[in-house]
Amino acid sequence: MSEVTIGIMGLATVLVLFMTGIELAFAMALVGFIGFSYIVSFKAGLNLLAKDFFDVFSSYGFTVIPLFVLMGQIAFNAGIAKRLYEAAYRFIGHIPGGLAMATVAGATVFKAICGSSPATAATFASVAVPEMDRYGYAKKLSTGIVATVGTLGILIPPSVTLIVFGIITEQSIGKLFLAGIVPGLMIAFFFICIIYAWCRLNPELGPKGERSTWKQRLVSLPEVLWVVAVFLLVIGGLMYGFFTPTEAGSVGTFAVLLLSVVKRDIDLKGYIKSVVESLRTACMVLMLIAGSQVLGHFLARTKIPMLAADWIMGLPLSPDVIMIIISIVYLVGGSFIDDLAFMVLATPIFYPVIIKLGYDPLWFGMIIAITVMVGVVIPPVAINVFVVKAITKQPLSVIYSGVYPFLLSLVFCALLLFLFPQIATFLPGMLMK
Amino acid sequence: MQWLVNKAQGLSKALNVLAGIAITFIMFLTVLDVILRSFRRPITGTYELAAFSGAIVIGFAVPLTTFLKGHVLVDFFVMRFPLAIRKTINVLTRLLGIGLFSLLGWNLILLGMDLYRTGEVSLTLQLPFYPVAFGVGFSCFVQCLVLIAQIFQVMGDSYE
Repeated sequence: MSEVTIGIMGLATVLVLFMTGIELAFAMALVGFIGFSYIVSFKAGLNLLAKDFFDVFSSYGFTVIPLFVLMGQIAFNAGIAKRLYEAAYRFIGHIPGGLAMATVAGATVFKAICGSSPATAATFASVAVPEMDRYGYAKKLSTGIVATVGTLGILIPPSVTLIVFGIITEQSIGKLFLAGIVPGLMIAFFFICIIYAWCRLNPELGPKGERSTWKQRLVSLPEVLWVVAVFLLVIGGLMYGFFTPTEAGSVGTFAVLLLSVVKRDIDLKGYIKSVVESLRTACMVLMLIAGSQVLGHFLARTKIPMLAADWIMGLPLSPDVIMIIISIVYLVGGSFIDDLAFMVLATPIFYPVIIKLGYDPLWFGMIIAITVMVGVVIPPVAINVFVVKAITKQPLSVIYSGVYPFLLSLVFCALLLFLFPQIATFLPGMLMK
Repeated sequence: MQWLVNKAQGLSKALNVLAGIAITFIMFLTVLDVILRSFRRPITGTYELAAFSGAIVIGFAVPLTTFLKGHVLVDFFVMRFPLAIRKTINVLTRLLGIGLFSLLGWNLILLGMDLYRTGEVSLTLQLPFYPVAFGVGFSCFVQCLVLIAQIFQVMGDSYE
């Protein structure tokens, strides 16, 4: 049997194992280990297994993941999102659809310190939906927008998805963070435009809220300012080379913790809760990476990524069509498995193709991030929708009917990125050499 | 077999506490280093200490993450099957996990012994690598215990 055949069988086995309910990281490590042992030797397979896990776990570069996750968890448990929503509500709550727009604005700022998509959906489902209910907002608008805004954290730094992408493709995490800012803000802006247009067409969807006084508005501002200050400290430090990503994660986490303690928003119990929750998420992500490393070494040995790149390059299709097909593969694969897991699995295979086609790696990262954003809100594995359903007790059909209009803005942004890659690349090109 | 489940949970939680201390340590150490660096007094070996602690953070969090079903998995295909088939599949996947982590744990111990014999240490602080390999290896055996406990949970209908 040729090595390529063994590689293809290995990949097929991974996909079959995924369907058995085994932890995806375990499946990738197992198949990688068995495949490598079969091709080289059992002893070499054992060495590969131990070395890959040891290297991933004890790598300085990977410590950035638990730190940024911890920063988000502290922000989440300190109730920062609620106050950001209140601040946004003070300014735009009185216009039609204003409470839904305030959800977008509050979540966009919250995303600057918390990358977790389900955590944001959960927070805004419990904070913003009751408020929108009070003013008679249609359920599909209120639940649809809270399920969708969580996805912004996949593009807006410090995004765990972009960190993982940066690690897999050996791209600068600082540059990826900068590349995500403009598309992230653009999507947030499109969300607001969609709410506005939707409520203009059907004013019953989002009636006007209460108008706040300027005093109330000004009082709510400090919360926004310090979140922006922490964001600028983290991104600025990374951009000007003051910090490594791990240091940026530590400084950001410390700053959020310090401010939350000073403001008495979090106590020791809250901090411990944040640590426990962040360990679970970080461990899940790093186990995926460790498993994919073992599988990746096996696949590299079979030369599949190289052959796949040559085969795809040889197809009589234009690079843009190939790129669209790759995005669809990510979307479908991510929808049935898990978006982050599929990205970890597929990127080492498709990345060489992207480079050979001459695309910018940062731009590719943004396209993949938008694909993941779509993946977390469409069936069958729509984690954000499930979170919102659990909190609001609304049927899935209602939430999905509210999500679909916002998907338009994601598709539109992806289209703009295709036409104008500079949307993603100009900021890192200008600010980081 | 509840005692085994309790034991696995207790050990996983204990390791998780160490992981939590390690992440807090990384945060404070790195922040202190950044502050002192601006006064031209950096903490020597911060990079190595963070990397070693990082291994504890992730390595020691694995068993509790498994116990709490925190790893990514796809269960909507399996959930379509009748209970008896689901139980069989769940036992089989736990057995595969036990196979993987016992091999991994054992080879991490061997790697640790190798690192000990060759006297491999970090560049700046000359910290030996072997305790990290032993620690993560030990955590893999606790992970096996968790997976065994989950088999008993599957049998007792308390897994799903």
